Amino acid sequence: MSAVSGFEQWLAPAEAAASGLQWLATRRGEARARVQGQGVPGTKQEAWRYTSLTRLLEQGFSAVAESVPLQPEAIEHLLIPGLEAWRVVLVNGRFAPELSALAGLPAGVRIGSLAEILRTDPDAVKDRLNTIAGPDQPLFSALNTAGLDDGLVVLMDAGTALARPVELIHLSVGSETPRVAQPRHLVVLAAGTQAHLIERYVTLTYALYCTNSVLEVTLGAGAVLEHQRIQLESPDAFHLAALYVRLGAASRYRCTNIAVGASWARTDLTVRFSGEHAACDLQGLYLVGERQLLDVHLDVDHCVPRCVSREYFKGILYGKGRAVFDGCVHVARDAQQTDAAMTNRNLILCEGAEVDTKPQLEIEADDVKCSHGTTVGQLDPEQLFYLRSRGIGAALARRMLCLGFAGEILDALTPEALRMQVTQEVGRRLEQAT
Amino acid sequence: MTVSSAVEAIVTSEYEHGFVTEIASDTLPPGLDEGVVRAISARKGEPEFMLDYRLRAFRHWQTMTAPRWAQVHYPPIDFQAISYFSAPKSKDGPKSLDEIDPALLETYTKLGIPIEEQMALSGIAVDAVFDSVSVATTFRTQLAAAGVIFCAISEAVHDHPDLIKQYLGSVVPHTDNFYAALNAAVFSDGTFVYVPKGVRCPMELSTYFRINARNTGQFERTLIIAEAGSYVSYLEGCTAPMRDENQLHAAVVELIAMDDAEIKYSTVQNWYPGDAKGRGGIYNFVTKRGDCRGARSKISWTQVETGSAITWKYPSCLLRGDDSVGEFYSVAVTKGRQQADTGTKMIHLGRNTSSTIVSKGIAAGEGEQTYRGLVRIATKAAGARNHTQCDSLLIGARCAAHTVPYIEVKNPTAQTEHEATTSKISDDQLFYCRSRGLTAEDAVSMIVNGFCKEVFKQLPMEFAVEAQKLLSISLEGAVG
Amino acid sequence: MLSVKGLRAKVGEKEILKGLDLEIGRGEIHAIMGPNGSGKSTLAHVLSGRDGYTVTAGSVTFDGQDLLALAPEERAHLGLFLAFQYPVELPGVNNTYFLKAALNAIRAARGQPELDAVAFMRLMKERLKVLHLDDSLLKRPVNFGFSGGEKKRNEIFQMAMLEPKLAILDETDSGLDIDALRIVADGVNALRNPERSVILVTHYQRLLDYIQPDYVHVLARGQIIRSGGKSLALELEEKGYGWLGIEEAA
Repeated sequence: MSAVSGFEQWLAPAEAAASGLQWLATRRGEARARVQGQGVPGTKQEAWRYTSLTRLLEQGFSAVAESVPLQPEAIEHLLIPGLEAWRVVLVNGRFAPELSALAGLPAGVRIGSLAEILRTDPDAVKDRLNTIAGPDQPLFSALNTAGLDDGLVVLMDAGTALARPVELIHLSVGSETPRVAQPRHLVVLAAGTQAHLIERYVTLTYALYCTNSVLEVTLGAGAVLEHQRIQLESPDAFHLAALYVRLGAASRYRCTNIAVGASWARTDLTVRFSGEHAACDLQGLYLVGERQLLDVHLDVDHCVPRCVSREYFKGILYGKGRAVFDGCVHVARDAQQTDAAMTNRNLILCEGAEVDTKPQLEIEADDVKCSHGTTVGQLDPEQLFYLRSRGIGAALARRMLCLGFAGEILDALTPEALRMQVTQEVGRRLEQAT
Repeated sequence: MTVSSAVEAIVTSEYEHGFVTEIASDTLPPGLDEGVVRAISARKGEPEFMLDYRLRAFRHWQTMTAPRWAQVHYPPIDFQAISYFSAPKSKDGPKSLDEIDPALLETYTKLGIPIEEQMALSGIAVDAVFDSVSVATTFRTQLAAAGVIFCAISEAVHDHPDLIKQYLGSVVPHTDNFYAALNAAVFSDGTFVYVPKGVRCPMELSTYFRINARNTGQFERTLIIAEAGSYVSYLEGCTAPMRDENQLHAAVVELIAMDDAEIKYSTVQNWYPGDAKGRGGIYNFVTKRGDCRGARSKISWTQVETGSAITWKYPSCLLRGDDSVGEFYSVAVTKGRQQADTGTKMIHLGRNTSSTIVSKGIAAGEGEQTYRGLVRIATKAAGARNHTQCDSLLIGARCAAHTVPYIEVKNPTAQTEHEATTSKISDDQLFYCRSRGLTAEDAVSMIVNGFCKEVFKQLPMEFAVEAQKLLSISLEGAVG
Repeated sequence: MLSVKGLRAKVGEKEILKGLDLEIGRGEIHAIMGPNGSGKSTLAHVLSGRDGYTVTAGSVTFDGQDLLALAPEERAHLGLFLAFQYPVELPGVNNTYFLKAALNAIRAARGQPELDAVAFMRLMKERLKVLHLDDSLLKRPVNFGFSGGEKKRNEIFQMAMLEPKLAILDETDSGLDIDALRIVADGVNALRNPERSVILVTHYQRLLDYIQPDYVHVLARGQIIRSGGKSLALELEEKGYGWLGIEEAA
């Protein structure tokens, strides 16, 4: 089956933003051609070896143009108490200015809607948009590009810094027909800038929908980005996320990826070093419950010398579900003195769960320090016994140990209010399990 | 002196075992069709069931296409340009060493494998495969007294047809993969071992393989059956003479271990790797699989792979019996333009099964190597355990090492651990050894042997020594 | 036996040794003291032939031979021994095997016959006894997984086995507690003899409480700026390097 016949409905029939722009039309058109050129990937393809698209295709998702008007009160319960942030709210992939909070941005910093910037000042994003993701996009990124419309934009001029985090809330609201939203985000930090980005994918209703997001990030020399991505979609939802990150010389990037929601989710993190002495730290936690499938793919490309990367992902499987971890660290010829370490740890708590993990190294330079490790196992019976011998009930003891296991990742979340909220959510889920 | 300054020298170290023995061969013309399969079977005087088996495999092979592997690069093989049968002339088979062509014996002597000496000194029974037909088998009587059958598989087809019918293709079916199908259709000869119930095989069994006749692909077939409570250790070592054409080697090895049985299978492989530009050299596409059929059975693979232009092999274990154990210990060296894609598959099906994987890869020059491993814990394999250690040592800036492990766990009581590291011989280590009086070359050899130690200690003593020597020769001139 | 004249050496573009002179006679123990960054370790490394240093001027002769023209192993064959500040780990390389290979390489270079396994084991046992060491470290890989103290002891043990004419102990006292220091010092003292010279490279006077030097030199800014007897070390201890107008590098 040609991919396009399965996904034709993903591309909104209505007019996309700034369709008059020739360069944008070309990029959308090329992506569309790419979608048409490839079939729906099957499990014979390495990238989809453990994750079948059948369930996704069966849902018949389609893009829905109509906007959902919401009052600020409607989302109040979703806000993190005490979190002061520049806030951009997207509802079903579209910018909702009435819910956002962007007043008083410092000079040299632009935060807002992609559609709006394409309308008012397209040249500001022309050189970056879709160039980080590159021309060889896999199916779902190409679909996103073909339907490219709205999303978050963060542009920071050299030397600027943000005192508060940027918070993106992507809110999904169910509709009568299962709908797909394809938000497209762009973050460009010029040399010497500093920012903290919190992405949260949440829902107002327990509905069946699909999110297919693409985020492109460029860090200039010495730029620092702290990035946290919290996926708390509806339990019925499908979630696809592709992150493309390019790191300039001596830049620092840390991404903490928490995947808890959705019935079926796939995250692809692609990081490419383009300057020396840069460092990236990718970490994540996935929580897999009943009938859930969570798939994380990492692709870290050390194509220049003297960069450091750490990949650390942990998973807890507490229901009959499936977790997939596929990480690849590539060290190019001449990328000497690369230092990379990848770790994947999994806890399986119940019958019927499955973990498929594939941590790869591809090394073409000799003066490197690279390692990877994975484990799949259970809670340590001795630790459980120790807790119980101190009077703690079995269920609580298990939960405590799980939270301890997850804590290593959760503790990286800042500010405290966010860490608390996500930790509580993780604790709630584990309560069902134990 | 630094490690890097010495790297070119590695690539230039010449293949030690490069010479061609002048010996008259009885060779089929190149090409493969049903007629050739029938001719092979006829020349061996095989019973009907064997011919049927070969023809089934051949017909299946015709429906298949040659695989292309992601990390391995070589021009397409013309299967019609290969001759599928070659046998030394003396037809009736020698009764003793005296009857063996002296040129042949001399070949082994040049390789440092004097048969008589080995027989006398080490007590190893040697079943030497020269090209395709087994020409010397020793210690048969002694083994027979213990009830162990150790013979050429072509003999077993005649003498033990029931065992062949029952077990041949039962671990690696002819439908398994392209090269397994090809092997099943045209396999020339190989080894058959049967160890009866409760017998501990009184000696290490060893076969030296050697490819010789020009343009002759070798298709060995090995079948080892260890009945309940038995033990056998089998050693396989190979060298091949220098030549220009690429030679295809597609062997199939099947091991079957019943309740409480143990099979130890060790390989030292040193076939011609091709010249510095990557010309010539053996294509070594092997299917090796062990079936731990019985409870508490154990199969252990140990391999030292230094030769061949391309190595593609994944000695695997099907852990079907409860409490069965699978092991894989591997050292692979690639230098020059050598490529190796090797690893293992541990399929845990029974309860409390355990497996250990230790893989040591050494890439030098422009060598490329990939560890590819699968650990699968099936739903019913409660209490399964796996530990994998996978290390790469890189010598020189133009080599490459890839690690591609697949770990699939479907049981909540299973535990798997996988660790992998990549390192180089540091200038510090080299200097430290030299400041203690060792030459740079000895230092490299010592460090590399240290790196491989966990694997070498799995080899029987005689082989461990040979393996270390081989490694030193392979990396000779590493620091010139 | 060792004569260093006007030695200048660079690491990269940076000159570390700036015209260093040093004479060491047979059987003498010399302490070379100096603050961090003064060039102490550079001197030890240049003498033993480590890569990464360029000698731009001066000469080093050892028993009349031009040391600088020799490879590190050739220097070892002549009887030079460097006890490393940070002994290198050799995973999988057995300590006994390593020592036997080194000793026999040195013996071969000197035209002596190789020691067979029995003779070697006997020698090893004897030297362990002299140093009051147990044989547990022989079975382990060279320095691999050793504690700091074990590594230093292993260096001294190697010295005992290889019987050098000149041993250079590079900051052998660093990172050792008093007990470990005493064991190491006792080892060195046990190996003292009229044929063996020792260079102790150290930052602190402490080591010299246990190993009595015949001469003390102060190295600063790439030169020996003062030489004297044991009392010089005590004076330094009391007054600090500042006393000689030397800034302690940060």
